[in-house]
Amino acid sequence: MLKKTLELLFNIDRRWLFLLLALSIFIPIVRPLGLPNKNISADVRHVYEKMNSLPPGSFILLSLDYDPSTRPELHPQAMALVRQAFERNLRVGVVTFIPGSTGLIDEVFSTLSKQYNKVYGKDYVIFPYEPNIVAVLTQMASNLYGIYDKDKYGNEAASLPVMKGITNYKDMGLVVDVTGTSSIDIWVQYAGDKYNVPLAAGVTAISQPSYGPYLQTGQLKGLIGGMKGAADYETLLNAPGKGTSGIDALNLAHILVVVLIVFSNLGLFLVKYL
Amino acid sequence: MSHTWMIAGGWLAAGLTIFIFSFLYKDNPFFKIAEHLYLGAGMGWWFQVYLYSIWIPKVADPLRAHQWAVLVPAVLGVSLVTQFFPKISWVSRYGFTFLMGYGAGLAIPTMLSTNFMSQIYGCIQPFTDVSHMTRLGMLNSLIVAVGTIAVLFYFFFSVENKGAVKKISNIGIYFLMAYFGTTFGNTVMARFSLLYGRFDELYSYSGANYFYATQVLLAGMVAYFLVHGLLAKKKPEGGAAN
Repeated sequence: MLKKTLELLFNIDRRWLFLLLALSIFIPIVRPLGLPNKNISADVRHVYEKMNSLPPGSFILLSLDYDPSTRPELHPQAMALVRQAFERNLRVGVVTFIPGSTGLIDEVFSTLSKQYNKVYGKDYVIFPYEPNIVAVLTQMASNLYGIYDKDKYGNEAASLPVMKGITNYKDMGLVVDVTGTSSIDIWVQYAGDKYNVPLAAGVTAISQPSYGPYLQTGQLKGLIGGMKGAADYETLLNAPGKGTSGIDALNLAHILVVVLIVFSNLGLFLVKYL
Repeated sequence: MSHTWMIAGGWLAAGLTIFIFSFLYKDNPFFKIAEHLYLGAGMGWWFQVYLYSIWIPKVADPLRAHQWAVLVPAVLGVSLVTQFFPKISWVSRYGFTFLMGYGAGLAIPTMLSTNFMSQIYGCIQPFTDVSHMTRLGMLNSLIVAVGTIAVLFYFFFSVENKGAVKKISNIGIYFLMAYFGTTFGNTVMARFSLLYGRFDELYSYSGANYFYATQVLLAGMVAYFLVHGLLAKKKPEGGAAN
């Protein structure tokens, strides 16, 4: 009897599982459960501490290389990083090598500049999309204005107050690449290792394990991975955002997957030996 | 952006998301519309990126300013297209030669330094300072060193895989399995995060300020599947029941 029931369950239409998964993610959006995020990753903490260690007025360069396809994971990371930079009164420069990210960058700064009373040109600057990341990173090592002579709005970049005293990597306190691509490899190769630039990164959960070797050797100072990484950063900042609210949904969905895996394996075992 | 356009954008985003997700139930014309629209919009998007972010600012504008040096990379770039024309395809070799030389010259030293020398150094360096290491740190460094050597043994094909070599390469397999498991787990988490992102937007568009776009479109999809299912039952020979 049990064997027959189990065999029936194994032949269940998989669309019921899709529905179950959809509910496990959708319900926490409608009715947040407020599950706590208690395990802060050491790699995320290192990025946070590195940013905190910079004196006010330091210049950080953010390379925001993500588009809507990875927005749920990377946008909260970018928001948290910019929030911390503004709280610490750091100067922020933004570059991008992904054309689809320009709208998302505008969204980050239009929201946070109002909250923290930051002025474009004085506290932050956005540079236009540039193709060919290798050429740009190589040029920025000697003179940033050789490639970014104008900002996104056509202003002379060198004349902006936010760029005062900034010529190349050695004038920057930290570079953070938030990306859904493999641009971190290029940043490590052409900037981090070559010119001793302190480098950190924010990546999708998929690519997070691949960057472990860079952390172990210190080539990356820290790493924010996926939505969990964004939630960790928001927890450290004490500013819950989309990363934190996503943890509810991720927790429920992960529990569902674990239950299904355990149940299926136990079931198969029983069907085989009953 | 005007309020009307925001609402229209919300309906479009919610509609296309629901149309794409409807494929999980079964193939349907709404999914096909969204799929083709995505491909077409993607092509259009990249065309304007190449035109307005590369060709105009990097080639046309400098030429208008009489900076003739840009002709060299521009001609080399255009030469790549000649490979589609057999009679003059030999011209593309000049472009490829430049790409190969430039690419290899830039990549080989940096790759060797970053991904080869630095990683070997990272593997050995902790053991040069054992007296200052904690027990956990030492264990961690040992695991990394053993894992690296064992996996390298697994990918060393010039010695027959038997005896001690087989045992070490088997340990390497366990390290690889642990890596693949971690990556797969993270992939699942990443996909759920993306799903959360879409659902979060659908929830945003379900409010009165968007005239309940999500609910209306979802109800429309359900109605379509119900009607389609009923019609398919009436004509079993033409139906595509699941």
